[in-house]
Amino acid sequence: MAGLAWKWPRTRLPVGASALGVFVLCWLYVFPVYRLPDEKEIVQGVLLQQGKAWRRNQTALAVFRKLLEECCDPGQLFAMTKQNSPMGKNLWFDGELLYSFTIDNATYSLFPQATPLQLPLKKCSVVGNGGILKKSGCGKQIDQADFVMRCNLPPLSSEYSKDVGSKTQLVTANPSIIQKRFQNLLWSRKAFVDSVKVYNHSYIYMPAFSMKTGTGPSLRVYYTLEDFGAKQTVLFANPNFLRDIGKFWKSKGIHAKRLSTGLFLVSAALGLCEEVTIYGFWPFSVDLHGKFISHHYYDNVLPDSGFHAMPEEFLQLWFLHKSGVLRMQLEQCEDPLI
Amino acid sequence: MGYTDPSSSRDLLGNRTLFFIFICAFAVVTLLQQILYGRNYLKRGLQFSWQNGEELANWTGTINFTDDGAVKSGSGTGTRYFEFYEGPLEYNSTKCLELRQDIIAVKVLSMVKQTELFDRWKSLQMCKWEMNVTEANLFKSTLSRCCNAPAFLFTTQKNTPLGTKLKYEVDTSGIFHINQEIFKMFPKDMPYHRSQFKKCAVVGNGGILKNSRCGREIDSADFVFRCNLPPISEKYITDVGVKTDVVTVNPSIITERFHKLEKWRKPFYDVLQVYENASVLLPAFYNTRNTDVSIRVKYVLDDFESQQAVYYFHPQYLINVSRYWLGLGVRAKRISTGLILVTAALELCEEVHLFGFWAFPMNPSGIFITHHYYDNVKPRPGFHAMPSEIFNFLHMHSKGILRVHTGTCSCC
Repeated sequence: MAGLAWKWPRTRLPVGASALGVFVLCWLYVFPVYRLPDEKEIVQGVLLQQGKAWRRNQTALAVFRKLLEECCDPGQLFAMTKQNSPMGKNLWFDGELLYSFTIDNATYSLFPQATPLQLPLKKCSVVGNGGILKKSGCGKQIDQADFVMRCNLPPLSSEYSKDVGSKTQLVTANPSIIQKRFQNLLWSRKAFVDSVKVYNHSYIYMPAFSMKTGTGPSLRVYYTLEDFGAKQTVLFANPNFLRDIGKFWKSKGIHAKRLSTGLFLVSAALGLCEEVTIYGFWPFSVDLHGKFISHHYYDNVLPDSGFHAMPEEFLQLWFLHKSGVLRMQLEQCEDPLI
Repeated sequence: MGYTDPSSSRDLLGNRTLFFIFICAFAVVTLLQQILYGRNYLKRGLQFSWQNGEELANWTGTINFTDDGAVKSGSGTGTRYFEFYEGPLEYNSTKCLELRQDIIAVKVLSMVKQTELFDRWKSLQMCKWEMNVTEANLFKSTLSRCCNAPAFLFTTQKNTPLGTKLKYEVDTSGIFHINQEIFKMFPKDMPYHRSQFKKCAVVGNGGILKNSRCGREIDSADFVFRCNLPPISEKYITDVGVKTDVVTVNPSIITERFHKLEKWRKPFYDVLQVYENASVLLPAFYNTRNTDVSIRVKYVLDDFESQQAVYYFHPQYLINVSRYWLGLGVRAKRISTGLILVTAALELCEEVHLFGFWAFPMNPSGIFITHHYYDNVKPRPGFHAMPSEIFNFLHMHSKGILRVHTGTCSCC
């Protein structure tokens, strides 16, 4: 054995590789790559813009819309319909690795014939659940829009209606909420039906085909609402649409396992509506005046870290705001004292 | 070394082989003939007796002395009991005593031919039925010692306190912890007490109910039990009635027809609505598979704000009942729901009437009937011992403990 080792001397490769590694590290130290600005810097940047009046930039809007149209076609693919997902089609789940589902007869019958929205929509409000909405007094302004979209079944009781409004046309619901708050709808279902009554005649948008575990609860939401003859209608998110939107933003530089529901909704709204105003998109712990705020306007439960890249998403939206594609409402709409 | 005929081994279709085949064929044909003819013979005999039986059923006071009847009445004396038949015989007449004794004398089902049992049962039909109070009380007292339905039929807050580790009936290793949520579903105490109802009807789903016109009589009972979510739509009303106070639901039905209640629930609720205010009774703690589905039924009814109560069989009661009947010769993997209900009814009611309990492929007169009055889906073989259960009922009928209805109801 010793003779063999002597025959082939050690190569120089490890020495070269470590030298290269040290060089790269030095290079990165001297010329750092893109680094996410931290919270304070972002707040500073936002404050700088504060004085200027926002104006819609029709050309930028048209360009952005065209981009979205090319990549994702929100008007057609936004929801699962009989038109865009015929029976027997194989659906690849966008939140799983290599997991697919073939649309069978029973599932197919749950889809509407075509997208039930009257396109294009005129004025849209997309309401995030950020704590910045608290005491904002934006309720009236939100309700003035023709189409109001909300995320993740937010509470709309009277104590919040001044800040977040009461109108809803579309609300997303995450299967994980169904699982946590309503025991997957396997037992009593009345609580769920009562809790969605606040959304009146709205669409409940469920990503049924994103995660393996989400399909059952999402379909059960449909069955439940049908059983009780509820006013809400369930729309299932199209995994192809979600995947395309994810790719679109990834190419713009959002590195996260998964986009937040808010960004999905904003992207969809930009494709579906003519004017988009977004409220409550503020993922930081301090507001513009440096005061601490809660994470959501209704509670302060922080999300699991490392799943969504909220600050990056915020920067993208802020960029869209600056270029006049959408309007982001961050300050108070009216003085809460009045 | 010896010379053998080379053709003998090669001669495959030679004379001998052909001859042999011919004999075999003959034997097979003869055997088949024997079998077929034998069955035909049997059937013919049955049909003959059925015609007589029909005559017997139409016998309503006005004695119809057609030539045919006259010949028959002359021919058979002693063996057949229906000649010169004038309305139902009195319960205590010697003939009836004799007839009843005929059935009681059959100790085991396999002792006599089925047709013979049917004949004896059919002859007994012309006797009036009366409850034999001493026999009935004796039977009920043994039941109260073994099973005690008025206290243990359902799981209640009294007999299953919070924190009980409930043993399943079948999955002996399985244990269900009664937590606050389940405990709240139980009734405070048993809603019924001993001999609360005068006249009870337990309605089985046997095909014998078809065209029986027993609906009115069933509805006239004070308390009606039904098994396994039977249809009681307009189509069947004249035969099975509508009144229902307790209906049992087999969790397997929920699993098959209603997707374990995990999908739509309204269809199931609509089915239960048909029974109006009937209580729903489920074997939730029979085995582990049944529990979730059965508990979901309670949630469904609560969600739709229904007034119907949901009760669960106490597993210990089920164990006791099946042990009791095992002692009386009902050997089965599981006793049927009907038998459990009859056992419970015997304790809760003074007088128990059974309708639609007949688990043979033909009715007492030998006409083939469907398995259920609404369909002809046969059960899994080797699961229930239906004939032996029915045989026990016939015995009890003869003793005057309960009454089994197998004919058409003359009422109204």
